[in-house]
Amino acid sequence: MSADPEFEQLVKLYYRDLYRFGLSLTASEADACDLAQETFYVWANKRDQLKKPAKVKTWLFTTLYRKFLQRRRHETRFKDEPIDQGFSELPAVPADCVNRIDARTLLSFLEKLDPTYRAPLVLYYLEDLSYNEIAATLEIPLGTVQSRIGRAKLKLLQMLNEAAVMPKK
Amino acid sequence: MTTNEAKQKLLLYRGAMDDADPQFQDALAQARRDPELGEWLREQVDCYKAIRSKLRETEPSGDLAQKIIRQRPVPFRRDWTQMLKLAAAIIISVGLTAVAVNWWQRAWQPNAAEREVTVKGEVLDMTCYIAYNMSGPEHAADARECIRKGLPVGIKGEDGKVYLLTGPPKHSVNEELADYAAQIVTIKGKETARDGFAQIQVEEIRKF
Repeated sequence: MSADPEFEQLVKLYYRDLYRFGLSLTASEADACDLAQETFYVWANKRDQLKKPAKVKTWLFTTLYRKFLQRRRHETRFKDEPIDQGFSELPAVPADCVNRIDARTLLSFLEKLDPTYRAPLVLYYLEDLSYNEIAATLEIPLGTVQSRIGRAKLKLLQMLNEAAVMPKK
Repeated sequence: MTTNEAKQKLLLYRGAMDDADPQFQDALAQARRDPELGEWLREQVDCYKAIRSKLRETEPSGDLAQKIIRQRPVPFRRDWTQMLKLAAAIIISVGLTAVAVNWWQRAWQPNAAEREVTVKGEVLDMTCYIAYNMSGPEHAADARECIRKGLPVGIKGEDGKVYLLTGPPKHSVNEELADYAAQIVTIKGKETARDGFAQIQVEEIRKF
Protein backbone atom coordinates (compact mmCIF):
# COMPACT_ATOMS: atom_id res chain seq x y z
CA MET A 1 0.00 0.00 0.00
CA SER A 2 1.35 3.41 -0.92
CA ALA A 3 2.22 5.83 1.87
CA ASP A 4 -0.20 8.52 2.95
CA PRO A 5 1.83 11.12 4.88
CA GLU A 6 -1.24 13.20 5.77
CA PHE A 7 -2.97 10.19 7.31
CA GLU A 8 0.14 9.08 9.19
CA GLN A 9 0.72 12.57 10.56
CA LEU A 10 -2.86 12.80 11.78
CA VAL A 11 -2.68 9.38 13.45
CA LYS A 12 0.56 10.23 15.23
CA LEU A 13 -0.87 13.55 16.36
CA TYR A 14 -4.19 12.36 17.79
CA TYR A 15 -4.18 8.61 18.39
CA ARG A 16 -3.27 8.95 22.06
CA ASP A 17 -5.96 11.54 22.76
CA LEU A 18 -8.59 9.53 20.93
CA TYR A 19 -7.53 6.36 22.70
CA ARG A 20 -7.82 8.03 26.09
CA PHE A 21 -11.23 9.44 25.24
CA GLY A 22 -12.34 6.01 24.03
CA LEU A 23 -10.92 4.34 27.13
CA SER A 24 -12.74 6.77 29.39
CA LEU A 25 -16.00 6.09 27.59
CA THR A 26 -15.76 2.31 27.35
CA ALA A 27 -13.41 1.36 30.20
CA SER A 28 -11.99 -1.22 27.79
CA GLU A 29 -8.57 -1.00 26.18
CA ALA A 30 -9.62 -3.15 23.22
CA ASP A 31 -12.75 -1.10 22.59
CA ALA A 32 -10.77 2.13 22.91
CA CYS A 33 -8.28 0.89 20.29
CA ASP A 34 -11.12 -0.16 17.98
CA LEU A 35 -12.88 3.19 18.35
CA ALA A 36 -9.69 5.13 17.63
CA GLN A 37 -8.99 2.95 14.61
CA GLU A 38 -12.54 3.24 13.23
CA THR A 39 -12.42 7.01 13.70
CA PHE A 40 -9.28 7.39 11.62
CA TYR A 41 -10.73 5.16 8.90
CA VAL A 42 -13.86 7.28 8.72
CA TRP A 43 -11.59 10.28 8.26
CA ALA A 44 -9.61 8.46 5.56
CA ASN A 45 -12.79 7.84 3.60
CA LYS A 46 -14.35 11.24 4.14
CA ARG A 47 -11.43 13.60 4.25
CA ASP A 48 -12.52 15.27 1.01
CA GLN A 49 -15.87 16.14 2.57
CA LEU A 50 -14.33 17.76 5.62
CA LYS A 51 -15.04 21.41 4.93
CA LYS A 52 -12.85 22.94 7.61
CA PRO A 53 -9.51 21.19 8.00
CA ALA A 54 -8.78 23.39 11.02
CA LYS A 55 -11.61 21.65 12.87
CA VAL A 56 -10.18 18.19 12.34
CA LYS A 57 -9.58 17.57 16.05
CA THR A 58 -13.17 18.36 16.98
CA TRP A 59 -14.33 16.29 14.02
CA LEU A 60 -12.30 13.28 15.17
CA PHE A 61 -13.70 13.42 18.69
CA THR A 62 -17.25 13.85 17.38
CA THR A 63 -16.80 10.83 15.14
CA LEU A 64 -15.42 8.68 17.93
CA TYR A 65 -18.29 9.69 20.20
CA ARG A 66 -20.84 8.85 17.48
CA LYS A 67 -19.18 5.47 16.97
CA PHE A 68 -19.36 4.88 20.70
CA LEU A 69 -23.08 5.76 20.79
CA GLN A 70 -23.73 3.47 17.81
CA ARG A 71 -22.06 0.57 19.60
CA ARG A 72 -23.89 1.34 22.77
CA ARG A 73 -27.25 1.12 21.01
CA HIS A 74 -26.40 -2.41 19.95
CA GLU A 75 -25.43 -3.48 23.45
CA THR A 76 -27.53 -3.95 26.56
CA ARG A 77 -28.83 -0.56 27.47
CA PHE A 78 -27.27 1.07 30.46
CA LYS A 79 -29.44 1.91 33.38
CA ASP A 80 -29.67 5.67 33.04
CA GLU A 81 -29.34 6.99 36.55
CA PRO A 82 -29.42 10.77 36.67
CA ILE A 83 -26.75 12.32 38.82
CA ASP A 84 -28.03 13.64 42.14
CA GLN A 85 -28.58 17.31 42.09
CA GLY A 86 -28.32 19.86 44.83
CA PHE A 87 -25.17 19.18 46.82
CA SER A 88 -25.51 21.12 50.00
CA GLU A 89 -21.76 21.70 50.00
CA LEU A 90 -19.32 21.55 47.14
CA PRO A 91 -16.94 18.71 47.96
CA ALA A 92 -13.34 19.77 48.34
CA VAL A 93 -10.84 17.18 47.17
CA PRO A 94 -7.15 17.88 47.78
CA ALA A 95 -4.90 17.02 44.86
CA ASP A 96 -3.07 14.59 47.18
CA CYS A 97 -6.20 12.43 47.35
CA VAL A 98 -6.20 12.16 43.58
CA ASN A 99 -2.50 11.43 43.44
CA ARG A 100 -2.90 8.53 45.85
CA ILE A 101 -5.19 6.59 43.49
CA ASP A 102 -4.13 5.01 40.22
CA ALA A 103 -5.47 5.79 36.78
CA ARG A 104 -7.43 2.54 36.61
CA THR A 105 -9.36 3.40 39.79
CA LEU A 106 -10.11 6.83 38.37
CA LEU A 107 -11.39 5.21 35.18
CA SER A 108 -13.59 2.89 37.25
CA PHE A 109 -15.16 5.97 38.89
CA LEU A 110 -15.81 7.49 35.49
CA GLU A 111 -17.38 4.25 34.37
CA LYS A 112 -20.04 4.67 37.05
CA LEU A 113 -21.26 7.84 35.37
CA ASP A 114 -23.82 7.66 32.61
CA PRO A 115 -22.08 8.12 29.23
CA THR A 116 -24.05 11.29 28.51
CA TYR A 117 -22.31 12.82 31.54
CA ARG A 118 -19.05 10.93 31.19
CA ALA A 119 -18.25 12.14 27.66
CA PRO A 120 -18.30 15.90 28.38
CA LEU A 121 -16.48 15.39 31.67
CA VAL A 122 -13.67 13.44 30.00
CA LEU A 123 -13.28 16.07 27.28
CA TYR A 124 -13.25 18.71 30.04
CA TYR A 125 -10.36 16.99 31.78
CA LEU A 126 -8.42 15.50 28.91
CA GLU A 127 -8.52 17.94 26.05
CA ASP A 128 -7.80 21.61 25.83
CA LEU A 129 -11.17 22.29 24.25
CA SER A 130 -13.28 25.31 25.02
CA TYR A 131 -16.83 24.70 26.23
CA ASN A 132 -18.09 25.69 22.79
CA GLU A 133 -15.80 23.10 21.21
CA ILE A 134 -16.96 20.41 23.63
CA ALA A 135 -20.57 21.29 22.77
CA ALA A 136 -19.77 21.10 19.05
CA THR A 137 -17.96 17.80 19.51
CA LEU A 138 -20.84 16.16 21.33
CA GLU A 139 -23.45 18.00 19.26
CA ILE A 140 -25.38 19.30 22.26
CA PRO A 141 -26.11 22.88 23.40
CA LEU A 142 -23.52 24.82 25.37
CA GLY A 143 -25.75 25.15 28.44
CA THR A 144 -26.36 21.41 28.51
CA VAL A 145 -22.63 20.74 28.28
CA GLN A 146 -21.81 22.99 31.22
CA SER A 147 -24.64 21.59 33.28
CA ARG A 148 -23.58 18.00 32.59
CA ILE A 149 -19.92 18.71 33.31
CA GLY A 150 -20.83 20.44 36.58
CA ARG A 151 -23.04 17.62 37.80
CA ALA A 152 -20.66 14.89 36.66
CA LYS A 153 -17.72 16.64 38.27
CA LEU A 154 -19.54 16.87 41.59
CA LYS A 155 -20.34 13.17 41.40
CA LEU A 156 -16.72 12.31 40.60
CA LEU A 157 -15.41 14.48 43.44
CA GLN A 158 -17.86 12.79 45.79
CA MET A 159 -16.52 9.36 44.76
CA LEU A 160 -12.95 10.56 45.22
CA ASN A 161 -13.83 11.87 48.69
CA GLU A 162 -15.35 8.54 49.67
CA ALA A 163 -12.29 6.70 48.37
CA ALA A 164 -10.05 9.03 50.40
CA VAL A 165 -11.77 8.30 53.71
CA MET A 166 -12.04 4.53 53.12
CA PRO A 167 -9.20 2.47 54.57
CA LYS A 168 -6.97 1.00 51.87
CA LYS A 169 -7.33 -2.77 51.59
CA MET B 1 -22.51 37.29 44.75
CA THR B 2 -22.22 35.03 47.78
CA THR B 3 -19.19 32.82 48.28
CA ASN B 4 -21.26 29.73 47.50
CA GLU B 5 -22.54 31.29 44.26
CA ALA B 6 -18.98 32.14 43.30
CA LYS B 7 -17.94 28.54 43.99
CA GLN B 8 -20.79 27.28 41.79
CA LYS B 9 -19.53 29.46 38.97
CA LEU B 10 -15.89 28.53 39.48
CA LEU B 11 -16.59 24.82 39.66
CA LEU B 12 -15.82 24.53 35.94
CA TYR B 13 -12.80 26.83 35.99
CA ARG B 14 -9.71 24.98 34.79
CA GLY B 15 -6.98 27.56 35.27
CA ALA B 16 -5.21 29.78 32.78
CA MET B 17 -6.99 28.35 29.74
CA ASP B 18 -10.34 29.67 31.06
CA ASP B 19 -9.05 33.09 32.12
CA ALA B 20 -10.47 34.82 29.07
CA ASP B 21 -13.91 33.21 29.42
CA PRO B 22 -16.36 36.00 30.43
CA GLN B 23 -18.51 33.63 32.53
CA PHE B 24 -15.74 33.35 35.15
CA GLN B 25 -14.66 37.01 35.34
CA ASP B 26 -16.82 38.21 38.25
CA ALA B 27 -16.20 35.11 40.36
CA LEU B 28 -12.44 35.26 39.68
CA ALA B 29 -12.37 38.90 40.75
CA GLN B 30 -14.15 37.92 43.95
CA ALA B 31 -11.66 35.10 44.56
CA ARG B 32 -8.82 37.61 44.33
CA ARG B 33 -10.46 39.70 47.04
CA ASP B 34 -11.56 36.81 49.29
CA PRO B 35 -8.62 34.76 50.65
CA GLU B 36 -10.83 31.86 51.68
CA LEU B 37 -12.46 31.65 48.24
CA GLY B 38 -9.03 32.07 46.66
CA GLU B 39 -7.69 29.12 48.63
CA TRP B 40 -10.72 27.00 47.66
CA LEU B 41 -10.16 27.93 43.99
CA ARG B 42 -6.48 26.96 44.15
CA GLU B 43 -7.48 23.63 45.61
CA GLN B 44 -10.06 23.12 42.86
CA VAL B 45 -7.58 23.92 40.12
CA ASP B 46 -4.94 21.65 41.68
CA CYS B 47 -7.51 18.87 41.86
CA TYR B 48 -8.42 19.48 38.21
CA LYS B 49 -4.77 19.25 37.18
CA ALA B 50 -4.24 16.10 39.26
CA ILE B 51 -7.23 14.35 37.66
CA ARG B 52 -6.16 15.51 34.19
CA SER B 53 -2.63 14.28 34.77
CA LYS B 54 -3.89 10.95 36.11
CA LEU B 55 -6.15 10.41 33.09
CA ARG B 56 -3.31 11.27 30.73
CA GLU B 57 -1.15 8.57 32.32
CA THR B 58 -3.02 5.96 30.31
CA GLU B 59 -1.16 5.08 27.16
CA PRO B 60 -2.26 2.89 24.28
CA SER B 61 -0.21 -0.16 23.43
CA GLY B 62 2.97 0.66 21.56
CA ASP B 63 1.93 -0.42 18.10
CA LEU B 64 -1.56 1.12 17.94
CA ALA B 65 -0.46 3.95 15.67
CA GLN B 66 1.41 1.57 13.36
CA LYS B 67 -1.54 -0.83 13.32
CA ILE B 68 -3.92 1.99 12.30
CA ILE B 69 -1.54 3.20 9.61
CA ARG B 70 -0.87 -0.34 8.35
CA GLN B 71 -4.54 -1.20 7.97
CA ARG B 72 -5.52 2.12 6.46
CA PRO B 73 -8.29 1.77 3.89
CA VAL B 74 -7.63 3.07 0.42
CA PRO B 75 -10.69 5.17 -0.35
CA PHE B 76 -12.34 5.25 -3.72
CA ARG B 77 -11.88 8.81 -4.89
CA ARG B 78 -14.81 10.16 -6.87
CA ASP B 79 -13.01 11.83 -9.74
CA TRP B 80 -15.93 12.74 -11.96
CA THR B 81 -13.75 13.44 -15.01
CA GLN B 82 -12.29 9.96 -14.75
CA MET B 83 -15.73 8.43 -14.15
CA LEU B 84 -17.13 10.16 -17.27
CA LYS B 85 -14.17 8.93 -19.32
CA LEU B 86 -14.75 5.42 -18.01
CA ALA B 87 -18.48 5.59 -18.79
CA ALA B 88 -17.76 6.82 -22.33
CA ALA B 89 -15.22 4.03 -22.82
CA ILE B 90 -17.76 1.42 -21.67
CA ILE B 91 -20.49 2.78 -23.97
CA ILE B 92 -18.15 2.89 -26.99
CA SER B 93 -16.83 -0.57 -26.21
CA VAL B 94 -20.34 -2.06 -25.87
CA GLY B 95 -21.44 -0.32 -29.09
CA LEU B 96 -18.46 -1.59 -31.07
CA THR B 97 -18.96 -5.10 -29.71
CA ALA B 98 -22.63 -5.07 -30.71
CA VAL B 99 -21.80 -3.87 -34.24
CA ALA B 100 -19.05 -6.47 -34.59
CA VAL B 101 -21.28 -9.31 -33.39
CA ASN B 102 -24.05 -8.23 -35.74
CA TRP B 103 -21.65 -8.03 -38.68
CA TRP B 104 -20.15 -11.42 -37.83
CA GLN B 105 -23.57 -13.02 -37.65
CA ARG B 106 -24.51 -11.56 -41.03
CA ALA B 107 -21.24 -12.35 -42.76
CA TRP B 108 -20.09 -15.61 -41.27
CA GLN B 109 -23.09 -17.29 -39.76
CA PRO B 110 -25.68 -17.55 -42.53
CA ASN B 111 -26.91 -20.86 -41.20
CA ALA B 112 -27.07 -19.88 -37.56
CA ALA B 113 -30.62 -21.20 -37.11
CA GLU B 114 -30.29 -24.09 -39.52
CA ARG B 115 -32.71 -27.04 -39.22
CA GLU B 116 -33.72 -30.06 -41.29
CA VAL B 117 -37.11 -29.72 -43.02
CA THR B 118 -39.24 -31.52 -45.56
CA VAL B 119 -41.56 -29.33 -47.60
CA LYS B 120 -44.13 -30.46 -50.10
CA GLY B 121 -45.37 -27.94 -52.67
CA GLU B 122 -45.19 -26.35 -56.11
CA VAL B 123 -41.85 -25.46 -57.70
CA LEU B 124 -41.85 -21.75 -58.54
CA ASP B 125 -40.03 -19.46 -60.89
CA MET B 126 -39.47 -16.90 -58.13
CA THR B 127 -38.97 -13.91 -60.41
CA CYS B 128 -42.31 -14.29 -62.15
CA TYR B 129 -44.07 -15.36 -58.97
CA ILE B 130 -42.94 -12.43 -56.86
CA ALA B 131 -43.05 -9.82 -59.60
CA TYR B 132 -46.21 -10.92 -61.42
CA ASN B 133 -47.83 -13.57 -59.23
CA MET B 134 -47.51 -16.12 -62.02
CA SER B 135 -47.55 -19.82 -61.11
CA GLY B 136 -49.44 -23.05 -61.85
CA PRO B 137 -49.63 -25.32 -64.95
CA GLU B 138 -50.41 -22.46 -67.37
CA HIS B 139 -47.06 -20.87 -66.50
CA ALA B 140 -45.10 -24.14 -66.45
CA ALA B 141 -43.29 -23.66 -69.77
CA ASP B 142 -42.16 -20.13 -68.97
CA ALA B 143 -41.19 -21.11 -65.48
CA ARG B 144 -39.10 -24.05 -66.74
CA GLU B 145 -37.34 -21.66 -69.13
CA CYS B 146 -36.62 -19.06 -66.49
CA ILE B 147 -35.35 -21.65 -63.99
CA ARG B 148 -33.14 -23.26 -66.53
CA LYS B 149 -31.64 -19.85 -67.33
CA GLY B 150 -30.61 -19.50 -63.73
CA LEU B 151 -33.30 -17.21 -62.29
CA PRO B 152 -34.16 -17.89 -58.66
CA VAL B 153 -36.21 -21.02 -57.99
CA GLY B 154 -38.47 -21.61 -55.03
CA ILE B 155 -41.20 -23.77 -53.56
CA LYS B 156 -44.58 -22.81 -52.16
CA GLY B 157 -45.51 -25.20 -49.36
CA GLU B 158 -48.97 -26.52 -48.65
CA ASP B 159 -49.22 -24.05 -45.81
CA GLY B 160 -48.63 -21.16 -48.28
CA LYS B 161 -45.12 -20.37 -47.11
CA VAL B 162 -42.59 -19.72 -49.89
CA TYR B 163 -38.93 -20.76 -49.69
CA LEU B 164 -36.01 -19.90 -51.95
CA LEU B 165 -34.28 -23.12 -53.01
CA THR B 166 -30.51 -23.19 -53.17
CA GLY B 167 -27.79 -25.77 -53.49
CA PRO B 168 -24.60 -26.19 -51.56
CA PRO B 169 -22.11 -23.27 -51.91
CA LYS B 170 -21.08 -22.74 -55.54
CA HIS B 171 -23.54 -25.36 -56.75
CA SER B 172 -26.83 -24.46 -58.43
CA VAL B 173 -29.89 -26.70 -58.21
CA ASN B 174 -31.68 -24.91 -61.07
CA GLU B 175 -30.90 -27.59 -63.64
CA GLU B 176 -32.27 -30.36 -61.40
CA LEU B 177 -35.41 -28.41 -60.58
CA ALA B 178 -36.20 -26.96 -64.03
CA ASP B 179 -38.01 -30.13 -65.09
CA TYR B 180 -40.26 -29.88 -62.05
CA ALA B 181 -41.36 -26.26 -62.72
CA ALA B 182 -45.00 -25.74 -61.64
CA GLN B 183 -45.18 -29.37 -60.43
CA ILE B 184 -45.74 -30.67 -56.90
CA VAL B 185 -42.56 -32.12 -55.36
CA THR B 186 -41.19 -32.88 -51.91
CA ILE B 187 -37.95 -31.10 -51.01
CA LYS B 188 -35.81 -32.23 -48.13
CA GLY B 189 -33.01 -29.97 -46.90
CA LYS B 190 -31.73 -27.44 -44.39
CA GLU B 191 -33.92 -24.49 -43.69
CA THR B 192 -32.29 -21.18 -42.84
CA ALA B 193 -33.37 -17.59 -42.82
CA ARG B 194 -31.65 -14.36 -43.69
CA ASP B 195 -33.22 -11.02 -42.89
CA GLY B 196 -36.53 -12.78 -42.46
CA PHE B 197 -36.43 -14.53 -45.84
CA ALA B 198 -36.75 -18.36 -45.69
CA GLN B 199 -34.60 -20.59 -47.83
CA ILE B 200 -33.88 -24.31 -48.13
CA GLN B 201 -30.54 -25.76 -49.13
CA VAL B 202 -31.77 -28.70 -51.15
CA GLU B 203 -30.49 -32.18 -50.28
CA GLU B 204 -33.18 -34.38 -51.89
CA ILE B 205 -35.93 -33.85 -54.47
CA ARG B 206 -38.80 -36.30 -54.72
CA LYS B 207 -41.52 -36.14 -57.27
CA PHE B 208 -44.88 -36.37 -55.64
